[in-house]
Amino acid sequence: MSHHLPEISDEPVIAEVIAHTNFLVSTGATGTRFLKEIRDNKKIMGLKCPGCSKVHVPPRLHCPTCFVKMTEWVELSGKGSLTSYTVVRYQEPYMPKEPPYAYGVIQMDGADTGLAHFLGEVDLDKIKIGMRLEPVFKEEREGSILDIDYFKPSS
Amino acid sequence: MAERIAIVGVGQTIHKSRRPDVTTAELCAEAVEAALADAQMTMKDIDHVVLGSFEVADGYFNPDKWIIPEIGAVGKAGFEIQNVGTTGGVTAAASFNLAATGMFDAVLCLAWQKMDEAAGAFSRGGGGANEYWMGQFPMSPITNFARRAYSYIDRSGCTEEHIAMVRVKQDQCAMKNPCAQLRLGLTIEKVMNDVLLAWPIRRLHMCPTTAGAAAVIVCPEARAKKVTDKPVWVEDWFTCHQGGALTMAEDPTASTLRYACDVVYKRCGITNPLKEIQAWEVYEPASPAELRWMEEVGICDDYTAWKLFEQGKVGIDKEIPFNPSGGVTATNPIGCTPVVRLVEAALQVRGDAGEHQIPGKIERALATGYGGQGENVIMMLRKTA
Amino acid sequence: MSTDQKQEQEFIQFRYPRQVPYQHSLGYQSKFANGLKQGRILATKCPVCGRCTIPPRIVCPFHHVKQTEWVDQGQRGRLVSAFKINFPMFDPRTRELQSWETPLVAVELEGGASMDGWCSELDTSKLKTGMLLEAVWRPEEERQGRGDDILHWKPVEE
Ligand SMILES: [Zn+2]
Ligand SMILES: [Zn+2]
Repeated sequence: MSHHLPEISDEPVIAEVIAHTNFLVSTGATGTRFLKEIRDNKKIMGLKCPGCSKVHVPPRLHCPTCFVKMTEWVELSGKGSLTSYTVVRYQEPYMPKEPPYAYGVIQMDGADTGLAHFLGEVDLDKIKIGMRLEPVFKEEREGSILDIDYFKPSS
Repeated sequence: MAERIAIVGVGQTIHKSRRPDVTTAELCAEAVEAALADAQMTMKDIDHVVLGSFEVADGYFNPDKWIIPEIGAVGKAGFEIQNVGTTGGVTAAASFNLAATGMFDAVLCLAWQKMDEAAGAFSRGGGGANEYWMGQFPMSPITNFARRAYSYIDRSGCTEEHIAMVRVKQDQCAMKNPCAQLRLGLTIEKVMNDVLLAWPIRRLHMCPTTAGAAAVIVCPEARAKKVTDKPVWVEDWFTCHQGGALTMAEDPTASTLRYACDVVYKRCGITNPLKEIQAWEVYEPASPAELRWMEEVGICDDYTAWKLFEQGKVGIDKEIPFNPSGGVTATNPIGCTPVVRLVEAALQVRGDAGEHQIPGKIERALATGYGGQGENVIMMLRKTA
Repeated sequence: MSTDQKQEQEFIQFRYPRQVPYQHSLGYQSKFANGLKQGRILATKCPVCGRCTIPPRIVCPFHHVKQTEWVDQGQRGRLVSAFKINFPMFDPRTRELQSWETPLVAVELEGGASMDGWCSELDTSKLKTGMLLEAVWRPEEERQGRGDDILHWKPVEE
């Protein structure tokens, strides 16, 4: 019977599909403490390793080189220096800001690791590595790293 | 010629449905700390790390970026692999392969899944499934096992009550395992009256979603003997990923377990599995699957496993000590689950399983990983070298 | 926080819903999708073992030979399994969460391949393994080259 039926096309088919995801991320006890200090007290805190004495900002529970738990919280001034940056001039879905915008890695005074964040109140063409920066906190804070609106040049 | 290899340390978290108090990486660190402590080693002694996560069930892509620093393994050789439900199995197999080359002194095998963060990742065929083939009907692991169980009942003549017996046995085992997630004190009646998801699968028959991690440290023989006086020898291992293509065309209840076991039994010279293997940790994602898997691993003839439950022959201190940990219907950090099986099997061989220890000498233990439409990873452990 | 008022410890968590579009090339399997649009179910056949498979494959997974022959699987098949989904699931066409009244069936087709589908008989006690089913198609303009172009499988008197 089948050989009497008309031929079916080999025309390539592309299946358009949309994957829906709705993941949750736990910041854990350590991440929560860090974010709560920003939200409730506008303070940036780091964790100091008992092995190598390095201060981690943002904090993590274990030191990556010593694999020991870090428990000593250190309060930082929030001021720091820019170690690297870029200016984003293109747009794609799920970006946190409208381009153009700048973000960079900020080495906080008293910290041994860098924190990535946005740069604001600055001419995008006048950003310089090594420039001094300080955080600008949002009025309404909800327990997110974006409770820091951006880092601005500091006098 | 490959080196003989042994497990010198094992660790797992206490498995829970939710762990908001830790990040995924911190959860992993708990298992790594436990395995290192068990082996009396430090991270300095580890020279290769193999990570395993079913990424779609985590929402973390490129997770080694987060996990390697948190477990203090920066700068060590390593990679991450994923293979759906068998992820932990291939993670272990890759670790075994690496240790057997003799190029590494100690390989850390780490797998995890923090499913409290991935609610709904599967329900709409979230990222990664083959959406054209998998997404035409509202399919899920529940409907997959409903279909298998429907055909199993049809072919075997067992009843829903026998499937409930499997679930109660699993729970009785889990009640004795402090790391197990669901410890419910079930009765046949409770199971039979539970919410029906897709006949004959009730909610209690299906593996839960779990936040958990497990780790194993594997060494070549010379190093293993220096590290511990209780090495657990990895006699053989085999990964079999043909899945639905290999089996389901002929038999909708089948997995690749029989094929994979045949390969390993032959290489190990096993002719009477029930006699020669004293402990079983076989990945059963739903209680009816345990019946079919018992047949496929060679414990009994096709479509007769339910009779063994009717006769009360299955349990920690019974003739057939199948899944003494409580198995996957009690605890399922999915991509990590095969490593949980491996940890539990190793503890049985050592005699360190505690309240759920099978009585008598455990010379051999079989651990497996299951995934997708019937993929299996076989891990055979031995007490004597 | 007062000491006598024991508050649950706060743990901050974030949700990030995403919709990610993919374009999957069906490649050699395109003929299967094109067939469905024409109201026909096609499967590849292995020249060595004679197995017909859905999903179709360019190579037999057992014999590693090209499967150049496509076989029409007919419009009828035998019931392999049938059950209702008793919890809300997402409709693959609309992505809406909904309840399901129609049983989900696995069907072994006349040509030997198997596929999933819906069943027109809502009373599962009337569904028996091995019973003969016939494909009822959506109108041609609604077909999308997917398995659910078959609206449902209808039991046939023998
Ligand atoms: Zn340190
Ligand atoms: Zn063939």
